[in-house]
Amino acid sequence: MNTPTQVYEPFRAGLPPLRKYWKSLWSRRTFISEYSRSELREQHFDSAFGQLWLVLNPLLLSAVYFLLIVIISGSSDSTRYAHLTATLFLFYLVANSLTGGVKSITAGQRLILNTAFPRIMLPVSAVVIAIFKFLPTLAVFLAIRTVLGLPLTWEMFWTIPVLLITMLLALGLAVTISCINVYFRDIASFLPYMTRTLLYLSPILYEASDLKPELRTLELFNPLFPILDSWSRALVHGQAPLTSHLLIGLGWAIGIFLIGTYFFLSREREFAVRL
Amino acid sequence: MPSVSSSHKTNEVAVSVRGLGLTYTTAIDRRPTLKARVKSLGRGGKQTRVIRALDEVNLDVEYGQVLGIIGTNGAGKSSLMRVISGILPPTQGRIEVYGSVSTLLALGVGFNPSMSGRDNVYLGGLAAGMSRDEIDSHFEEIAEFSELGEAIDAPMRTYSSGMYARLAFSVAATVRPDILIVDEALSTGDAKFKEKSLNRIKELRSDDRALILVSHAMATLEDVCNDVAWLHKGKLIQRGDPKTVITAYREFLQVGKSAAIDEDV
Repeated sequence: MNTPTQVYEPFRAGLPPLRKYWKSLWSRRTFISEYSRSELREQHFDSAFGQLWLVLNPLLLSAVYFLLIVIISGSSDSTRYAHLTATLFLFYLVANSLTGGVKSITAGQRLILNTAFPRIMLPVSAVVIAIFKFLPTLAVFLAIRTVLGLPLTWEMFWTIPVLLITMLLALGLAVTISCINVYFRDIASFLPYMTRTLLYLSPILYEASDLKPELRTLELFNPLFPILDSWSRALVHGQAPLTSHLLIGLGWAIGIFLIGTYFFLSREREFAVRL
Repeated sequence: MPSVSSSHKTNEVAVSVRGLGLTYTTAIDRRPTLKARVKSLGRGGKQTRVIRALDEVNLDVEYGQVLGIIGTNGAGKSSLMRVISGILPPTQGRIEVYGSVSTLLALGVGFNPSMSGRDNVYLGGLAAGMSRDEIDSHFEEIAEFSELGEAIDAPMRTYSSGMYARLAFSVAATVRPDILIVDEALSTGDAKFKEKSLNRIKELRSDDRALILVSHAMATLEDVCNDVAWLHKGKLIQRGDPKTVITAYREFLQVGKSAAIDEDV
Protein backbone atom coordinates (compact mmCIF):
# COMPACT_ATOMS: atom_id res chain seq x y z
CA MET A 1 0.00 0.00 0.00
CA ASN A 2 1.14 3.52 -0.81
CA THR A 3 1.80 6.06 1.85
CA PRO A 4 -0.89 8.71 2.01
CA THR A 5 -0.05 12.16 0.58
CA GLN A 6 -2.15 13.82 3.23
CA VAL A 7 -3.35 12.67 6.61
CA TYR A 8 -5.91 14.69 8.50
CA GLU A 9 -6.28 13.94 12.16
CA PRO A 10 -7.71 15.85 15.10
CA PHE A 11 -5.38 18.60 16.26
CA ARG A 12 -4.23 18.70 19.78
CA ALA A 13 -5.20 22.05 21.24
CA GLY A 14 -2.97 24.98 20.39
CA LEU A 15 -0.51 25.33 17.57
CA PRO A 16 -0.39 23.26 14.37
CA PRO A 17 2.92 21.49 13.64
CA LEU A 18 5.06 24.56 12.95
CA ARG A 19 7.63 23.04 10.62
CA LYS A 20 4.95 21.65 8.33
CA TYR A 21 3.04 24.94 8.49
CA TRP A 22 6.12 26.93 7.56
CA LYS A 23 6.89 24.60 4.65
CA SER A 24 3.41 24.93 3.32
CA LEU A 25 3.57 28.72 3.73
CA TRP A 26 6.97 28.98 2.06
CA SER A 27 5.82 26.92 -0.93
CA ARG A 28 3.07 29.48 -1.48
CA ARG A 29 5.25 32.58 -1.42
CA THR A 30 4.38 33.26 -5.06
CA PHE A 31 0.78 33.68 -3.94
CA ILE A 32 1.83 36.52 -1.65
CA SER A 33 3.75 38.37 -4.36
CA GLU A 34 1.10 37.70 -7.01
CA TYR A 35 -1.69 38.79 -4.67
CA SER A 36 0.06 42.04 -3.75
CA ARG A 37 0.74 42.76 -7.39
CA SER A 38 -2.86 42.20 -8.51
CA GLU A 39 -4.16 44.18 -5.55
CA LEU A 40 -1.92 47.15 -6.39
CA ARG A 41 -2.84 46.86 -10.05
CA GLU A 42 -6.51 46.83 -9.14
CA GLN A 43 -6.02 50.01 -7.09
CA HIS A 44 -4.34 51.49 -10.20
CA PHE A 45 -0.95 51.83 -8.59
CA ASP A 46 0.66 50.45 -11.73
CA SER A 47 -0.21 53.58 -13.70
CA ALA A 48 1.71 56.87 -13.57
CA PHE A 49 -1.15 58.75 -11.90
CA GLY A 50 -1.68 55.96 -9.42
CA GLN A 51 1.99 56.14 -8.43
CA LEU A 52 1.72 59.91 -8.20
CA TRP A 53 -1.27 59.63 -5.89
CA LEU A 54 0.64 57.18 -3.72
CA VAL A 55 3.25 59.87 -3.13
CA LEU A 56 0.95 62.87 -3.27
CA ASN A 57 -1.44 61.59 -0.62
CA PRO A 58 1.08 61.43 2.27
CA LEU A 59 2.79 64.59 1.01
CA LEU A 60 -0.47 66.56 1.18
CA LEU A 61 -1.11 65.07 4.61
CA SER A 62 2.27 66.19 5.86
CA ALA A 63 1.61 69.67 4.39
CA VAL A 64 -1.68 69.88 6.29
CA TYR A 65 -0.09 68.79 9.57
CA PHE A 66 2.80 71.21 9.02
CA LEU A 67 0.28 74.02 8.65
CA LEU A 68 -1.27 72.88 11.93
CA ILE A 69 2.09 72.95 13.73
CA VAL A 70 2.96 76.40 12.37
CA ILE A 71 -0.40 77.79 13.48
CA ILE A 72 -0.30 76.22 16.94
CA SER A 73 3.33 76.74 17.86
CA GLY A 74 3.76 80.00 15.91
CA SER A 75 6.93 79.05 14.09
CA SER A 76 8.70 76.09 12.69
CA ASP A 77 11.78 75.15 10.74
CA SER A 78 12.83 72.82 7.97
CA THR A 79 14.06 70.09 10.37
CA ARG A 80 10.62 70.09 11.91
CA TYR A 81 9.06 69.57 8.53
CA ALA A 82 11.50 66.76 7.73
CA HIS A 83 10.75 65.09 11.07
CA LEU A 84 7.02 65.33 10.47
CA THR A 85 7.22 63.92 6.95
CA ALA A 86 9.62 61.08 7.77
CA THR A 87 7.68 59.86 10.80
CA LEU A 88 4.30 60.29 9.11
CA PHE A 89 5.41 58.12 6.19
CA LEU A 90 6.59 55.37 8.53
CA PHE A 91 3.42 55.69 10.58
CA TYR A 92 1.41 55.10 7.42
CA LEU A 93 3.29 51.87 6.82
CA VAL A 94 1.90 50.59 10.11
CA ALA A 95 -1.54 52.17 9.63
CA ASN A 96 -1.89 50.73 6.11
CA SER A 97 -0.89 47.29 7.38
CA LEU A 98 -3.66 47.55 9.96
CA THR A 99 -6.35 48.78 7.58
CA GLY A 100 -5.33 46.24 4.94
CA GLY A 101 -4.97 43.45 7.47
CA VAL A 102 -8.18 43.91 9.40
CA LYS A 103 -10.45 42.60 6.64
CA SER A 104 -7.96 40.24 5.02
CA ILE A 105 -9.54 37.11 6.51
CA THR A 106 -13.18 38.12 6.20
CA ALA A 107 -12.65 39.30 2.62
CA GLY A 108 -10.88 36.07 1.73
CA GLN A 109 -13.98 34.11 2.69
CA ARG A 110 -14.46 32.36 -0.66
CA LEU A 111 -10.89 31.22 -0.78
CA ILE A 112 -10.92 30.06 2.84
CA LEU A 113 -14.11 28.03 2.39
CA ASN A 114 -12.84 26.42 -0.80
CA THR A 115 -9.13 25.80 -0.38
CA ALA A 116 -6.80 24.45 2.27
CA PHE A 117 -3.85 26.80 2.75
CA PRO A 118 -2.08 28.55 5.64
CA ARG A 119 -4.50 31.36 6.44
CA ILE A 120 -1.71 33.62 7.67
CA MET A 121 -0.87 34.24 4.00
CA LEU A 122 -3.70 36.76 3.83
CA PRO A 123 -2.57 39.22 6.55
CA VAL A 124 1.04 38.74 5.40
CA SER A 125 -0.02 39.85 1.91
CA ALA A 126 -1.69 42.92 3.40
CA VAL A 127 1.61 43.92 5.03
CA VAL A 128 3.52 43.31 1.80
CA ILE A 129 1.08 45.64 0.01
CA ALA A 130 1.62 48.29 2.70
CA ILE A 131 5.39 47.96 2.22
CA PHE A 132 5.03 48.41 -1.55
CA LYS A 133 3.05 51.56 -0.90
CA PHE A 134 5.67 52.78 1.57
CA LEU A 135 8.76 52.41 -0.65
CA PRO A 136 7.98 55.28 -3.08
CA THR A 137 7.30 57.62 -0.15
CA LEU A 138 10.72 56.77 1.25
CA ALA A 139 12.27 57.84 -2.07
CA VAL A 140 10.28 61.08 -1.90
CA PHE A 141 11.54 61.73 1.61
CA LEU A 142 15.15 61.27 0.53
CA ALA A 143 14.54 63.89 -2.15
CA ILE A 144 12.97 66.27 0.39
CA ARG A 145 15.91 65.68 2.71
CA THR A 146 18.37 66.62 -0.02
CA VAL A 147 16.46 69.78 -0.88
CA LEU A 148 16.37 70.82 2.79
CA GLY A 149 20.14 70.25 2.94
CA LEU A 150 20.14 67.99 6.00
CA PRO A 151 23.54 66.40 6.71
CA LEU A 152 24.37 62.92 5.45
CA THR A 153 25.99 60.69 8.06
CA TRP A 154 26.91 57.04 8.55
CA GLU A 155 24.48 56.92 11.46
CA MET A 156 21.67 57.07 8.91
CA PHE A 157 22.19 53.35 8.34
CA TRP A 158 20.42 52.83 11.68
CA THR A 159 17.23 53.32 9.66
CA ILE A 160 17.62 49.76 8.33
CA PRO A 161 17.18 47.95 11.67
CA VAL A 162 14.50 50.45 12.66
CA LEU A 163 12.61 49.71 9.44
CA LEU A 164 12.91 45.96 10.02
CA ILE A 165 11.55 46.36 13.55
CA THR A 166 8.63 48.41 12.17
CA MET A 167 7.83 45.74 9.58
CA LEU A 168 7.80 43.04 12.25
CA LEU A 169 5.51 45.17 14.40
CA ALA A 170 3.22 45.89 11.42
CA LEU A 171 3.07 42.17 10.65
CA GLY A 172 2.24 41.28 14.24
CA LEU A 173 -0.49 43.93 14.39
CA ALA A 174 -2.01 42.89 11.05
CA VAL A 175 -2.08 39.21 12.01
CA THR A 176 -3.66 40.01 15.38
CA ILE A 177 -6.33 42.36 14.10
CA SER A 178 -7.29 40.13 11.14
CA CYS A 179 -8.00 37.34 13.61
CA ILE A 180 -9.93 39.57 16.03
CA ASN A 181 -12.08 40.79 13.14
CA VAL A 182 -13.34 37.25 12.51
CA TYR A 183 -14.92 37.22 15.96
CA PHE A 184 -15.86 40.88 16.22
CA ARG A 185 -16.68 42.27 12.80
CA ASP A 186 -17.09 45.83 14.07
CA ILE A 187 -13.38 46.15 14.92
CA ALA A 188 -12.90 47.41 11.36
CA SER A 189 -15.18 50.36 12.16
CA PHE A 190 -13.27 51.22 15.34
CA LEU A 191 -9.94 51.03 13.58
CA PRO A 192 -9.83 54.60 12.19
CA TYR A 193 -10.28 55.95 15.75
CA MET A 194 -7.57 53.68 17.05
CA THR A 195 -5.05 54.68 14.38
CA ARG A 196 -5.91 58.36 14.86
CA THR A 197 -5.30 58.05 18.61
CA LEU A 198 -2.04 56.23 17.96
CA LEU A 199 -1.01 59.05 15.59
CA TYR A 200 -1.44 61.71 18.30
CA LEU A 201 0.24 59.57 20.95
CA SER A 202 3.30 59.14 18.75
CA PRO A 203 6.12 61.63 18.28
CA ILE A 204 5.01 62.77 14.82
CA LEU A 205 3.45 66.22 15.28
CA TYR A 206 6.01 66.82 18.03
CA GLU A 207 9.46 65.46 18.77
CA ALA A 208 9.98 63.02 21.60
CA SER A 209 12.33 65.49 23.34
CA ASP A 210 9.60 68.21 23.40
CA LEU A 211 7.37 66.10 25.56
CA LYS A 212 6.69 67.31 29.11
CA PRO A 213 8.26 64.95 31.70
CA GLU A 214 4.84 64.11 33.15
CA LEU A 215 3.74 62.84 29.73
CA ARG A 216 6.86 60.71 29.26
CA THR A 217 5.00 57.62 30.48
CA LEU A 218 3.25 57.68 27.09
CA GLU A 219 6.26 56.08 25.54
CA LEU A 220 5.94 53.06 27.77
CA PHE A 221 2.52 52.15 26.40
CA ASN A 222 2.91 53.04 22.75
CA PRO A 223 5.06 50.61 20.76
CA LEU A 224 5.42 53.17 17.99
CA PHE A 225 6.91 55.79 20.30
CA PRO A 226 10.46 54.42 20.59
CA ILE A 227 10.40 53.25 16.97
CA LEU A 228 9.37 56.60 15.50
CA ASP A 229 11.84 58.46 17.70
CA SER A 230 14.67 56.16 16.56
CA TRP A 231 13.56 56.59 12.95
CA SER A 232 13.59 60.37 13.21
CA ARG A 233 16.97 60.46 14.97
CA ALA A 234 18.60 58.26 12.35
CA LEU A 235 16.91 59.47 9.18
CA VAL A 236 16.31 63.17 9.92
CA HIS A 237 19.01 64.13 12.39
CA GLY A 238 21.58 61.60 11.22
CA GLN A 239 22.27 60.44 14.79
CA ALA A 240 22.39 57.00 16.34
CA PRO A 241 19.09 56.12 18.05
CA LEU A 242 18.96 55.49 21.79
CA THR A 243 19.81 51.88 22.53
CA SER A 244 17.00 51.73 25.07
CA HIS A 245 14.49 52.87 22.43
CA LEU A 246 15.73 50.31 19.93
CA LEU A 247 15.47 47.53 22.49
CA ILE A 248 12.02 48.61 23.71
CA GLY A 249 10.79 48.84 20.11
CA LEU A 250 12.21 45.43 19.29
CA GLY A 251 10.69 43.97 22.44
CA TRP A 252 7.25 45.32 21.52
CA ALA A 253 7.55 44.08 17.94
CA ILE A 254 8.63 40.56 18.91
CA GLY A 255 6.06 40.41 21.71
CA ILE A 256 3.13 41.50 19.55
CA PHE A 257 4.27 39.27 16.69
CA LEU A 258 4.58 36.17 18.88
CA ILE A 259 1.34 36.70 20.79
CA GLY A 260 -0.62 37.62 17.63
CA THR A 261 0.76 34.71 15.64
CA TYR A 262 0.08 32.24 18.46
CA PHE A 263 -3.46 33.54 18.72
CA PHE A 264 -3.94 33.35 14.93
CA LEU A 265 -2.41 29.91 14.40
CA SER A 266 -4.33 28.31 17.22
CA ARG A 267 -7.58 29.79 15.88
CA GLU A 268 -7.22 29.61 12.12
CA ARG A 269 -8.56 26.07 11.80
CA GLU A 270 -12.01 27.23 12.78
CA PHE A 271 -12.11 30.29 10.51
CA ALA A 272 -13.98 28.25 7.90
CA VAL A 273 -16.92 27.72 10.25
CA ARG A 274 -16.83 31.26 11.62
CA LEU A 275 -17.10 33.09 8.32
CA MET B 1 -0.83 19.34 -5.56
CA PRO B 2 -2.44 18.53 -8.86
CA SER B 3 -0.31 16.49 -11.19
CA VAL B 4 -0.69 16.22 -14.93
CA SER B 5 -1.25 12.50 -15.18
CA SER B 6 -2.75 10.00 -12.82
CA SER B 7 -0.49 7.14 -11.88
CA HIS B 8 -3.08 5.28 -9.92
CA LYS B 9 -4.71 1.96 -10.71
CA THR B 10 -8.35 1.07 -10.48
CA ASN B 11 -9.44 -0.10 -7.03
CA GLU B 12 -6.48 1.46 -5.27
CA VAL B 13 -7.68 3.48 -2.30
CA ALA B 14 -7.87 7.21 -2.98
CA VAL B 15 -9.48 8.46 0.20
CA SER B 16 -9.94 6.57 3.41
CA VAL B 17 -12.18 8.00 6.12
CA ARG B 18 -12.17 6.21 9.46
CA GLY B 19 -14.40 6.95 12.42
CA LEU B 20 -14.79 10.56 11.39
CA GLY B 21 -16.51 12.89 13.79
CA LEU B 22 -16.80 16.64 13.38
CA THR B 23 -18.11 19.01 16.00
CA TYR B 24 -17.68 22.71 15.73
CA THR B 25 -18.67 25.92 17.41
CA THR B 26 -20.07 28.65 15.27
CA ALA B 27 -21.44 32.09 15.90
CA ILE B 28 -25.22 32.46 15.98
CA ASP B 29 -24.99 35.93 14.44
CA ARG B 30 -23.95 36.05 10.84
CA ARG B 31 -21.88 39.08 11.72
CA PRO B 32 -20.73 38.77 15.32
CA THR B 33 -19.85 42.17 16.77
CA LEU B 34 -18.19 43.49 19.86
CA LYS B 35 -21.20 45.73 20.37
CA ALA B 36 -23.59 42.78 20.49
CA ARG B 37 -21.26 40.93 22.85
CA VAL B 38 -21.03 43.88 25.24
CA LYS B 39 -24.80 44.40 25.17
CA SER B 40 -25.49 40.79 26.06
CA LEU B 41 -22.91 40.75 28.88
CA GLY B 42 -25.43 41.37 31.66
CA ARG B 43 -28.02 39.02 30.23
CA GLY B 44 -25.57 36.24 29.57
CA GLY B 45 -27.13 35.33 26.23
CA LYS B 46 -25.45 32.64 24.19
CA GLN B 47 -23.26 33.82 21.31
CA THR B 48 -22.31 30.49 19.85
CA ARG B 49 -23.80 27.12 19.26
CA VAL B 50 -22.16 23.75 18.93
CA ILE B 51 -22.92 21.77 15.81
CA ARG B 52 -22.36 18.05 15.55
CA ALA B 53 -21.91 17.83 11.80
CA LEU B 54 -20.49 14.33 11.33
CA ASP B 55 -20.67 11.27 13.51
CA GLU B 56 -18.67 8.04 13.10
CA VAL B 57 -18.45 8.18 9.32
CA ASN B 58 -16.44 5.43 7.63
CA LEU B 59 -15.95 5.76 3.92
CA ASP B 60 -13.46 4.54 1.35
CA VAL B 61 -13.18 5.96 -2.12
CA GLU B 62 -11.23 4.01 -4.71
CA TYR B 63 -9.64 5.13 -7.93
CA GLY B 64 -11.98 4.64 -10.87
CA GLN B 65 -14.91 5.29 -8.60
CA VAL B 66 -17.41 8.12 -8.94
CA LEU B 67 -19.05 8.49 -5.58
CA GLY B 68 -22.25 10.48 -5.31
CA ILE B 69 -23.17 11.92 -1.92
CA ILE B 70 -26.85 12.53 -1.23
CA GLY B 71 -28.80 13.68 1.76
CA THR B 72 -31.13 16.39 2.95
CA ASN B 73 -29.94 19.92 3.71
CA GLY B 74 -27.77 19.95 6.79
CA ALA B 75 -26.93 16.26 6.49
CA GLY B 76 -23.20 17.02 6.67
CA LYS B 77 -22.37 16.59 2.98
CA SER B 78 -20.45 19.83 2.61
CA SER B 79 -18.74 19.35 5.97
CA LEU B 80 -17.54 15.94 4.83
CA MET B 81 -16.14 17.44 1.62
CA ARG B 82 -14.35 20.17 3.60
CA VAL B 83 -12.79 17.64 5.94
CA ILE B 84 -11.59 15.45 3.06
CA SER B 85 -10.04 18.47 1.33
CA GLY B 86 -8.30 19.56 4.54
CA ILE B 87 -10.19 22.82 4.99
CA LEU B 88 -11.67 21.73 8.33
CA PRO B 89 -9.73 19.50 10.70
CA PRO B 90 -11.70 16.52 12.05
CA THR B 91 -12.64 16.32 15.71
CA GLN B 92 -12.33 12.54 15.76
CA GLY B 93 -11.06 9.89 13.43
CA ARG B 94 -8.54 9.88 10.66
CA ILE B 95 -8.59 10.74 6.98
CA GLU B 96 -5.95 9.51 4.58
CA VAL B 97 -5.72 10.95 1.11
CA TYR B 98 -3.63 9.19 -1.53
CA GLY B 99 -3.09 11.71 -4.28
CA SER B 100 -3.69 15.30 -5.28
CA VAL B 101 -7.07 16.82 -4.55
CA SER B 102 -8.86 19.52 -6.48
CA THR B 103 -11.91 21.00 -4.85
CA LEU B 104 -14.90 22.73 -6.29
CA LEU B 105 -16.96 23.38 -3.24
CA ALA B 106 -20.16 25.34 -2.97
CA LEU B 107 -18.56 28.70 -3.61
CA GLY B 108 -16.26 27.95 -6.49
CA VAL B 109 -13.31 30.08 -7.49
CA GLY B 110 -12.93 33.77 -7.19
CA PHE B 111 -12.04 35.33 -3.95
CA ASN B 112 -11.82 38.91 -5.01
CA PRO B 113 -14.71 39.95 -7.27
CA SER B 114 -13.03 43.18 -8.30
CA MET B 115 -10.13 41.29 -9.86
CA SER B 116 -10.34 39.71 -13.30
CA GLY B 117 -11.19 36.08 -13.90
CA ARG B 118 -7.59 35.52 -14.95
CA ASP B 119 -6.16 36.95 -11.70
CA ASN B 120 -8.60 34.92 -9.66
CA VAL B 121 -7.67 31.70 -11.43
CA TYR B 122 -3.99 32.35 -10.78
CA LEU B 123 -4.52 33.34 -7.15
CA GLY B 124 -6.79 30.38 -6.49
CA GLY B 125 -4.26 28.01 -8.04
CA LEU B 126 -1.32 29.50 -6.15
CA ALA B 127 -3.24 29.32 -2.88
CA ALA B 128 -4.01 25.66 -3.56
CA GLY B 129 -0.26 25.09 -3.83
CA MET B 130 0.24 24.99 -7.59
CA SER B 131 3.24 26.67 -9.16
CA ARG B 132 2.98 29.53 -11.65
CA ASP B 133 4.25 27.28 -14.44
CA GLU B 134 1.62 24.66 -13.71
CA ILE B 135 -1.13 27.25 -13.94
CA ASP B 136 0.43 28.73 -17.08
CA SER B 137 0.33 25.33 -18.74
CA HIS B 138 -3.34 24.82 -17.89
CA PHE B 139 -4.59 28.34 -18.38
CA GLU B 140 -5.37 28.19 -22.10
CA GLU B 141 -7.38 25.03 -21.60
CA ILE B 142 -9.26 26.52 -18.66
CA ALA B 143 -10.15 29.66 -20.62
CA GLU B 144 -11.27 27.60 -23.58
CA PHE B 145 -13.31 25.12 -21.59
CA SER B 146 -15.11 27.88 -19.72
CA GLU B 147 -16.08 29.55 -23.04
CA LEU B 148 -15.70 32.93 -21.38
CA GLY B 149 -13.81 34.47 -24.29
CA GLU B 150 -12.62 37.99 -23.57
CA ALA B 151 -14.62 38.13 -20.34
CA ILE B 152 -11.76 36.24 -18.69
CA ASP B 153 -10.00 39.60 -18.31
CA ALA B 154 -13.05 41.43 -17.00
CA PRO B 155 -13.57 41.86 -13.23
CA MET B 156 -15.47 38.91 -11.79
CA ARG B 157 -18.15 41.17 -10.34
CA THR B 158 -19.38 41.65 -13.91
CA TYR B 159 -19.93 37.89 -14.34
CA SER B 160 -23.32 36.23 -14.32
CA SER B 161 -23.75 33.31 -11.95
CA GLY B 162 -23.54 30.95 -14.91
CA MET B 163 -20.20 32.42 -15.99
CA TYR B 164 -18.98 32.07 -12.42
CA ALA B 165 -19.94 28.44 -12.33
CA ARG B 166 -18.42 27.73 -15.74
CA LEU B 167 -15.08 29.20 -14.76
CA ALA B 168 -15.11 27.39 -11.42
CA PHE B 169 -15.82 24.04 -13.00
CA SER B 170 -13.22 24.59 -15.71
CA VAL B 171 -10.51 25.26 -13.14
CA ALA B 172 -11.34 22.24 -11.01
CA ALA B 173 -11.67 19.85 -13.93
CA THR B 174 -8.81 20.96 -16.18
CA VAL B 175 -5.98 20.73 -13.67
CA ARG B 176 -6.49 16.95 -13.86
CA PRO B 177 -6.32 16.13 -10.17
CA ASP B 178 -6.11 12.57 -8.91
CA ILE B 179 -9.16 13.25 -6.79
CA LEU B 180 -11.85 15.74 -7.75
CA ILE B 181 -14.43 16.91 -5.27
CA VAL B 182 -17.44 18.77 -6.65
CA ASP B 183 -20.02 20.17 -4.27
CA GLU B 184 -23.31 21.20 -5.85
CA ALA B 185 -21.70 22.97 -8.75
CA LEU B 186 -23.12 20.87 -11.54
CA SER B 187 -26.59 22.28 -11.37
CA THR B 188 -25.57 25.78 -12.48
CA GLY B 189 -24.79 26.70 -16.05
CA ASP B 190 -26.92 26.15 -19.11
CA ALA B 191 -27.89 22.79 -20.60
CA LYS B 192 -25.03 22.81 -23.07
CA PHE B 193 -22.39 23.46 -20.45
CA LYS B 194 -23.97 20.95 -18.11
CA GLU B 195 -23.62 18.28 -20.77
CA LYS B 196 -20.05 19.31 -21.42
CA SER B 197 -19.16 19.10 -17.73
CA LEU B 198 -20.83 15.72 -17.37
CA ASN B 199 -18.80 14.48 -20.30
CA ARG B 200 -15.66 15.77 -18.63
CA ILE B 201 -16.59 13.91 -15.47
CA LYS B 202 -17.10 10.68 -17.40
CA GLU B 203 -13.77 11.28 -19.09
CA LEU B 204 -12.05 11.63 -15.73
CA ARG B 205 -13.82 8.48 -14.56
CA SER B 206 -12.53 6.40 -17.45
CA ASP B 207 -9.12 7.90 -16.70
CA ASP B 208 -9.08 6.09 -13.35
CA ARG B 209 -9.35 9.12 -11.19
CA ALA B 210 -11.52 9.35 -8.11
CA LEU B 211 -14.50 11.66 -8.07
CA ILE B 212 -16.79 12.69 -5.29
CA LEU B 213 -19.94 14.53 -6.32
CA VAL B 214 -22.38 16.17 -3.97
CA SER B 215 -25.69 16.87 -5.64
CA HIS B 216 -29.43 16.98 -5.31
CA ALA B 217 -29.87 16.06 -8.96
CA MET B 218 -30.68 12.36 -8.60
CA ALA B 219 -30.95 11.68 -12.31
CA THR B 220 -27.45 13.04 -12.92
CA LEU B 221 -26.01 11.03 -10.09
CA GLU B 222 -27.67 7.86 -11.35
CA ASP B 223 -26.15 8.59 -14.75
CA VAL B 224 -22.52 9.26 -13.80
CA CYS B 225 -21.91 7.59 -10.44
CA ASN B 226 -21.00 3.98 -9.87
CA ASP B 227 -21.44 4.33 -6.13
CA VAL B 228 -23.67 6.46 -3.92
CA ALA B 229 -23.53 7.26 -0.22
CA TRP B 230 -26.46 8.65 1.69
CA LEU B 231 -25.81 10.86 4.70
CA HIS B 232 -28.41 11.88 7.22
CA LYS B 233 -27.79 14.09 10.25
CA GLY B 234 -24.08 13.42 10.11
CA LYS B 235 -24.37 9.66 9.85
CA LEU B 236 -23.77 7.38 6.92
CA ILE B 237 -27.12 5.65 6.34
CA GLN B 238 -26.49 3.57 3.26
CA ARG B 239 -23.79 3.08 0.69
CA GLY B 240 -23.72 1.06 -2.47
CA ASP B 241 -25.29 0.68 -5.90
CA PRO B 242 -26.67 4.06 -7.08
CA LYS B 243 -30.12 2.73 -8.01
CA THR B 244 -30.69 0.99 -4.68
CA VAL B 245 -29.50 3.85 -2.51
CA ILE B 246 -31.31 6.53 -4.49
CA THR B 247 -34.55 4.53 -4.40
CA ALA B 248 -34.23 4.11 -0.65
CA TYR B 249 -33.50 7.84 -0.27
CA ARG B 250 -36.53 8.73 -2.41
CA GLU B 251 -38.74 6.51 -0.29
CA PHE B 252 -37.37 8.16 2.83
CA LEU B 253 -38.17 11.58 1.40
CA GLN B 254 -41.75 10.51 0.67
CA VAL B 255 -42.16 9.45 4.29
CA GLY B 256 -40.52 12.67 5.35
CA LYS B 257 -42.93 14.66 3.28
CA SER B 258 -45.98 13.11 4.88
CA ALA B 259 -44.39 13.93 8.22
CA ALA B 260 -44.35 17.51 6.99
CA ILE B 261 -40.59 17.93 6.75
CA ASP B 262 -39.90 20.63 4.24
CA GLU B 263 -37.56 19.40 1.57
CA ASP B 264 -37.10 20.01 -2.10
CA VAL B 265 -35.49 17.52 -4.43
